Amino acid sequence: MTGKAARWIFWIGTLSSAVIFLWMTYDFHRQTPTFAHTDRLTADVIAGKKVWHRYNCNDCHTILGFGGYYAPDMTKAFYRLGPNNIATIVMHPEAVYKNSFRKMPQLGVTQPEIAQLNAFLKWVGEIDNRHWPPQDEKFVKAYYQRAASPQNLSKVDIVMGACGGCHSFQNLGRNVAGSFDDIAKRIAYDRATLIRYMLNPQSVKPGIAMPPQNVTPETAGIIADFILALKVPKEVRQ
Amino acid sequence: MTAIEFPSQRVSLWYFRIALVLFILQVIMGLWLSINYAFTLPQALVDVFAFNTARSIHTNLLVAWMLLGFMGGTYYILPVECERDLYSTRIAYLQLAIFVLAAVTAVIGFLFRWTRGKPLLEIPFPLNALIVVAALLFIANVAMTIFTAKVRSALQWMLLGGVAFLAVMYLFGMPFYQNLNTDYYYWWWVIHLWVEGAWEVVTASIVAFIIMRVTGVDRKVVEKWLYVETGLFLFTGIVGTGHHYYWIGAPDYWLWWGGVFSALEPLPIVLMVVDTWMHVRERKNPIINPLTWYYIVGLAIYHLVGAGLWGFMHTLPPINYYTHGSQVTVSHGHLAFFGAYGILNLTIFYFAMPRLKNIIKYQDRLGRWGFWIMTIGMFLLGLVFGVAGILQTYLERFLDIGYSTAQITMMFWFRIAFGIGVVFLIGVIITVWHLFTIKPAPDQPAETLSSERGPAAEGI
Ligand code: HEC
Ligand code: HEC
Ligand SMILES: [Fe+2]
Repeated sequence: MTGKAARWIFWIGTLSSAVIFLWMTYDFHRQTPTFAHTDRLTADVIAGKKVWHRYNCNDCHTILGFGGYYAPDMTKAFYRLGPNNIATIVMHPEAVYKNSFRKMPQLGVTQPEIAQLNAFLKWVGEIDNRHWPPQDEKFVKAYYQRAASPQNLSKVDIVMGACGGCHSFQNLGRNVAGSFDDIAKRIAYDRATLIRYMLNPQSVKPGIAMPPQNVTPETAGIIADFILALKVPKEVRQ
Repeated sequence: MTAIEFPSQRVSLWYFRIALVLFILQVIMGLWLSINYAFTLPQALVDVFAFNTARSIHTNLLVAWMLLGFMGGTYYILPVECERDLYSTRIAYLQLAIFVLAAVTAVIGFLFRWTRGKPLLEIPFPLNALIVVAALLFIANVAMTIFTAKVRSALQWMLLGGVAFLAVMYLFGMPFYQNLNTDYYYWWWVIHLWVEGAWEVVTASIVAFIIMRVTGVDRKVVEKWLYVETGLFLFTGIVGTGHHYYWIGAPDYWLWWGGVFSALEPLPIVLMVVDTWMHVRERKNPIINPLTWYYIVGLAIYHLVGAGLWGFMHTLPPINYYTHGSQVTVSHGHLAFFGAYGILNLTIFYFAMPRLKNIIKYQDRLGRWGFWIMTIGMFLLGLVFGVAGILQTYLERFLDIGYSTAQITMMFWFRIAFGIGVVFLIGVIITVWHLFTIKPAPDQPAETLSSERGPAAEGI
């Protein structure tokens, strides 16, 4: 190869790639409104993004898969947890994660900031990003089905879709606040109390770290039946 | 007889020294991060010095010592390439002072939560402005040195182009983007177009220079390879940016364009291995300092494995769907950064620092220990992160086990990573110590210096 040919390789390689890339960048901007729903990019969402940056959440939590790998991905956190849970976790991590092996710092996030964060996380969750991360798709589906047609969901899906962000059942969900098998054996609530507990834990057990759950009373009823049924020992259940 | 040809090359020494100190601090901070992973820390400690703060320090120190190494390396090489002293050593020192001031302030600021909260680009705006000033001074100094030189070489332009490209890309990370998906789109213009674009160009140029100097292989041959390699780096790397756009909310064709171009990214690295190997075989000069050669060959191989092979596997879209955002990325990140750029900087230091102290042949016993401990240590670390990542992917994304349960299962591997990290740190301290106290070997070859200068200097 001659030196001239080598120079041609350099210029053609570099420029052709740059041209393709710039064109694709142009197209990216053209299509972003569809993929990222920029029409829903309200002042609250933008303020929420600033909160997200202010406390540097991103160096512990990934979002869209980028950032620190130290804590759960936040892309679909809104579906996984809902606004109440996010609020309680972010404002009182030391209580929610009291028994966890890994702690989240008490950052001093304020109530208005939480509302903005929730708006931001909701907007992020709606980005059309090819159903990533894979493990959270079940929460996204459960979120919509719980609202539209709970009868179509399996019981386990309803329960884990709503509570799996903190509780576990068999090998599903997170074991941050205890597994339902253990909890069911421990609690002595009747059905109505359990439903009341889900909707407003403080009213049943003041001081508990669990946030009020964003579930309809009907869904809460289904979940309560599920948990109370776990009281019966396994052998009998089968 | 001096080992450097132009007095102004001496400015690079301070760049190298500071870079080495930051390297140690970076690794110490990394060790602290691994403790965060491997053990449960009390809430009171997490509240005041949390993982996110430590991570921003770890990554910013990385970027800082890389850039210091590149800038120092450029200042070392440029006078030789241009056959004249640097345009201004005053500017070079001023720029260093500004850069270091900004970096130190940034690290202290992080401790007090003064941050932009954007991974790797956390530095707040006023400090970013300082960095831009430093970068402008640097580029002006490099450009003026080249413009006023009497000789012309491809290497000069490649270096100038590489550092200018590097600086321009940094600007895309500075604005506040309202839209997260656009934010990350341009975040990768900085991060990806650095490590798989501008930095590769700088690396290829510096390696070409060093290889030319130590092997005595003809400049024409070296520069031909340089054009082909950088051409391929940029051809594959620019559109290859798409491998970061699979899951951010972008059109489907990114999967194809990003996937195919990024699958080609190892090609130029393979070429680099081949040409290093050929030039070493066809060298005209004797091997004076075997350790410097270890680094040159080690760089080529590690670059290929860490950046090329790991990158290749991790960025194929069907695999990336599962491995994205997991410890697999951590594995790739460590192997690639250390393999391509950590070793590059150390190669520069081992090439330049003895010469800056008028040493032709140096005692290398300690340095060899450092070399082997670091390279093997980092390789094992990459493997351990990789195992943890595959485990995480399998538990979370195939078995549907929740994040925290999966992390508890991975704990064993985090503890091993911590252990290897300690060993790695020892290797780093040995290496840095060796470089700082580098001594002439008892058997100084008398005539080698002139023969080393000969062919290369003629080629200019
Ligand atoms: C020092 C690291 C760190 C920082 C900073 C941090 N978090 Fe966390 N966060 C964690 C950890 C660790 C967990 C999970 C603990 C567990 O599961 O045991 C967590 C959990 C969460 C959860 C629950 C996730 C789930 O799926 O269960 C939410 C929501 C959350 N964090 C939001 C935030 C927000 C918002 C910020 C910024 C204001 C933030 N975090 C900052 C470490 C951090
Ligand atoms: C944000 C995390 C979180 C979510 C989501 C969550 N919980 Fe809890 N839950 C907790 C915490 C924290 C506790 C207290 C654990 C402890 O003190 O041991 C708890 C305790 C409980 C208890 C035991 C109460 C007692 O008296 O001991 C029940 C029952 C329970 N949760 C049911 C649910 C149900 C049903 C859902 C879903 C609708 C749910 N939780 C969702 C955090 C959560
Ligand atoms: Fe990349």
